[in-house]
Amino acid sequence: MADPSFRPRPLNVRRHFDEELRELEIKVQAMSAAAQDLVAQAVRGLVENNSQLYDQVIQGDDEVDFYYLDIERRIVALFALQTPVATDLRFLTALLHINLHLERVADMAVNIAKIGQSVVDLPRSQVIITHLSEMSGIALKMIAASTDAFARRDMELATKLPSMDDPLDRLNRGMMRAILPISDDKRMLQWAIGMHTVSRQIERIGDHAVDIAEQVAFLITGEFREFTDASHPDKAG
Amino acid sequence: MSKVMKRSSEITLDIKPVPTGGTPDDRPESEPIFRVRDLGVRYGGLLAVRGVTADISRNQITAIIGPSGCGKSTLIRCFNRLNDLIPAASIEGQVLYHGVDLYGPAVDPVEVRRHIGMVFQKPNPFPKSIYENIAFGLRVNGMTDDIDARVEHALQGAALWDEVKGKLKSNALSLSGGQQQRLCIARALAVEPDVILMDEPASALDPVATSRIEDLMESLKEDYTILIVTHNMQQAARVSDMTAFLTVEVSDDGHRTGVLVEFAPTTELFTNPRDPRTEAYITGRFG
Repeated sequence: MADPSFRPRPLNVRRHFDEELRELEIKVQAMSAAAQDLVAQAVRGLVENNSQLYDQVIQGDDEVDFYYLDIERRIVALFALQTPVATDLRFLTALLHINLHLERVADMAVNIAKIGQSVVDLPRSQVIITHLSEMSGIALKMIAASTDAFARRDMELATKLPSMDDPLDRLNRGMMRAILPISDDKRMLQWAIGMHTVSRQIERIGDHAVDIAEQVAFLITGEFREFTDASHPDKAG
Repeated sequence: MSKVMKRSSEITLDIKPVPTGGTPDDRPESEPIFRVRDLGVRYGGLLAVRGVTADISRNQITAIIGPSGCGKSTLIRCFNRLNDLIPAASIEGQVLYHGVDLYGPAVDPVEVRRHIGMVFQKPNPFPKSIYENIAFGLRVNGMTDDIDARVEHALQGAALWDEVKGKLKSNALSLSGGQQQRLCIARALAVEPDVILMDEPASALDPVATSRIEDLMESLKEDYTILIVTHNMQQAARVSDMTAFLTVEVSDDGHRTGVLVEFAPTTELFTNPRDPRTEAYITGRFG
């Protein structure tokens, strides 16, 4: 395997290509920060039951969508014009995936905000809110870790993502247990069912972080493998 | 006519029998057709290429890529002893063809070149008719039976028959560059070789003619083993199964020697090269 950090002195035409690659990487990191902000804001909306925050999340998704489309178009142009191979090829295909994962993370923040908005007048359970806050804290750490691993080409950090996902999965599965005690109150139950969907959205954010880490590993090693396999959990990794 | 009237690989080479017995075509597909061991070429005592070791599989296309002066053409010419024609050239190491040392004392280089044909960068048809361009080589090689059928078979094999069947007596030089190159491929196929060497066969052609040559290579590998030297990395990526990357090492006194850096399945070499020199070359960062 060639060292992915290896960068001999480029020729002029290739220098423009290198600059474009660097710019795309900066953009995807900015997109990651924007997507994380949206998730944090959406969950803060839940904690504060704040309609204004929900609106900000829904509007804020436009910025992430702009990043997504811009990055996608520029990657396609580089494929057409620069015929990337080797590390460049792996970098651009990884970036293409990471771009889509981050766009989906932002969409999940929007889903959380919309669900929160739809139940804003219903009675709430602080236990469930705390549960969701804990989950979102883990999911946000996972997104940050996966994009940090990308920035640093850090294989060790990338391979930690599946174990970071385990507590998130456990908390998601525990949501039903948190809902059952309040099922007698029909209005609160209606709210809690919405929160159950929110829990699933946050759990999915963790899955996207793991998928980003898989792309980082592919970039570094040149061999693609899934860290986890939902249909064959015993064969994972 | 059958797919191949009489493959030269079924014609006994005028050399000792291959160690494992039987004809080469009886061998398993996986057995290398060439085993190259520590091959070097000297011109006037100076090493032009050194230390090439590789196994070339049959019915595959093997591409040789690398910067100018790395010895790609010198290397490919070792496979049919074409370097013998250069008085100052000498060979070190071994090229085993179906287990037989191509440079062994009993081996006739002319016989070698009938088994291992070659197509060059610039189409070089004879200034004769299309028909004669094929028939001439057949006669020289004593393949005088059924010449008309052999000519047609060769032209069909080179995907040229439909374009020239009505004008076989026309001068070959009236053909387009791409057609001339396919005629040269037909000329190579006519004597029923086992291997076809191609030294930049499409570098003088436009993209349409290049595509036809590449399509042709894809179909020819069903029956032949192909080695191709190309400057066009995307062509190597498109057509080949295996790729060899050569580079140039420059000594303190300025002497340049070609070395084999990496030899790998083409997909692997273009997605995940093992050597940073390969990475630098194929990504265009070799300044």
